[in-house]
Amino acid sequence: MKVVTGVIGNDIHVVANRLIDLSLKARGYEVFNLGVNTYLEEFFDAVIETDADILLISSLNGEAEGWGREVKALKAEYKGLDKLIMMIGGNLTVGAGKAEDIIPKYKSYGFDLVCHQIDLNTGLDMLADYIKEKSA
Amino acid sequence: MSLLQEEREIILGNQYVEAFDFAEVEDFVKNANKELFISHHFKHSNKMLVQPRGGFPTYKKQFALYEFFVNANVDVLPLTIDSNTRLNDYKTAARMLRLSEENDVDMLNGYPLVNHGYRTTRNMITHFNKPVSLRHGTPDARLLIEQAIASGIFDIEGGPITYLLPYSKNFPLDKAFLYWKYVERVCANYSQLNEPINRESFGPLTATLVPPAITIVIQLLEMLLSLEEGVKSFSVSFAQQGSMMQDIVTGHVLKKLARHYAEEIGCGDASIHLVYHQWMGAFPMDPNYAEQLISIATVIASMVRADKIITKTNQEAAGIPTKEANSETVANTQYSLRILNGLPDITDEQEEEILTAEVMAIMEAVFNDPADTLWRKVFNCIKSGIIDVPFSPHIINHNQMITIRDDNKNIRIIKRGKVPIPDHCFDYEKAQCDLSKDTTSIVNDIIHDIGIMQ
Repeated sequence: MKVVTGVIGNDIHVVANRLIDLSLKARGYEVFNLGVNTYLEEFFDAVIETDADILLISSLNGEAEGWGREVKALKAEYKGLDKLIMMIGGNLTVGAGKAEDIIPKYKSYGFDLVCHQIDLNTGLDMLADYIKEKSA
Repeated sequence: MSLLQEEREIILGNQYVEAFDFAEVEDFVKNANKELFISHHFKHSNKMLVQPRGGFPTYKKQFALYEFFVNANVDVLPLTIDSNTRLNDYKTAARMLRLSEENDVDMLNGYPLVNHGYRTTRNMITHFNKPVSLRHGTPDARLLIEQAIASGIFDIEGGPITYLLPYSKNFPLDKAFLYWKYVERVCANYSQLNEPINRESFGPLTATLVPPAITIVIQLLEMLLSLEEGVKSFSVSFAQQGSMMQDIVTGHVLKKLARHYAEEIGCGDASIHLVYHQWMGAFPMDPNYAEQLISIATVIASMVRADKIITKTNQEAAGIPTKEANSETVANTQYSLRILNGLPDITDEQEEEILTAEVMAIMEAVFNDPADTLWRKVFNCIKSGIIDVPFSPHIINHNQMITIRDDNKNIRIIKRGKVPIPDHCFDYEKAQCDLSKDTTSIVNDIIHDIGIMQ
């Protein structure tokens, strides 16, 4: 399966992005990594261009919260993204926040899978389970 | 008028710059006190110079910071520049400086030198009469460097590779080379008037599992790009890597090859110095542990025989340190240096041989690139992945090299990508590591290896 990934907004934290890239490849995905400092439009453009199955956005400085609100409106401007699996992970809030508040909020933004401060491999296991469930 | 002078007048005609008096600045540099030149101290001091980090938005706070540093017996003062100035956004810097002055809150993470101007800043620098080192991270530092030298700052950090690959996603690398060429020429010209202006490269790069071969190659190339423009005093640098032996070996090879390649291009008359950065990766939250890490770094800097050490503070994990914590670390480091005596001169000959062979193989590949100038050769080699910096966010970087730590915490290359590491060296590196693991556990190891000091 094809995955588009990258770090949202003006966030330049690159370490986890590289590790996500490595781990996805190790699990057999075809990875299109847009790197750090990537805007929402660039993610969706890349999904269209590569015909990706999964969009995995990450955030470390928490600015995803601001961008998340725009996901639905922007996605509606593109055609053929109904089957796209949308996943977001990392540190999803600026300052402190509880996962039980954060997860429903991002789900309402249109994300299928939300991983707030979750270990990388646990998150990727969640993705694998979700894909299995969906195709069953 | 020379082309360079024409360019300088355009650069200094910027609307955010007070009228720049070329003749007056030249006269100032010519007659400046020798104490302001770090190159003078390198020549005459027989101890390792201690330099902290630090920059505040307002003149008042920067002045107060320097008072604390001087009381702590500092050797070299830092001037760290704010992030707006680094991106040439002088308009935002001006607004944030005003807010900082009016409200007594720091709205900038450093000193906006261009907005303060050289006349004001020079008052502060000459008042303390200590060498000052400019710390920034600017791909286009032409205006900043003009203002710095005019202020009496004669130690200029940075370079086209080391200030770009760790900090930027898509600033064009070829432009950075040309902007830094201007910086080198301006430094070289001023160097003829008094003691030389010292240039320093930024060895830590991404501070994340960068193998010594890559660090050294980039240090050597930035040094050569500087010396070929006429700079006469240059500092190569690197940061604590996590293994004392690897640091000692890196120091030896870096010093030896810096001399070798400087002579190779006919610049053997330049003086070359070694700078060591205390741990640049993630710090422990506990200030007591942070202090232990800092003093161990000082011991290693002594074993490496560095000419200058750049310090961290026990507040590193928490954010920008207070002037009190920052000056404490200066006093502590001076104390450690004073009691560190009778250090043995040791090395690991096999490690030195392997590292030397790796560096020379990459350098040879750079020199063999068919481009006509050195900067174009280096540019092509970064573009083609012959030089590959682990964890650089820049789009031009290949990211194919993978490194992990061995049992002794040495950084080892387990995937070389397109970097021409010779086979026997690559086999040696891999032989130090357990490669039977699957990628998932290697990724876990990498996460652990990055956070090794936490």
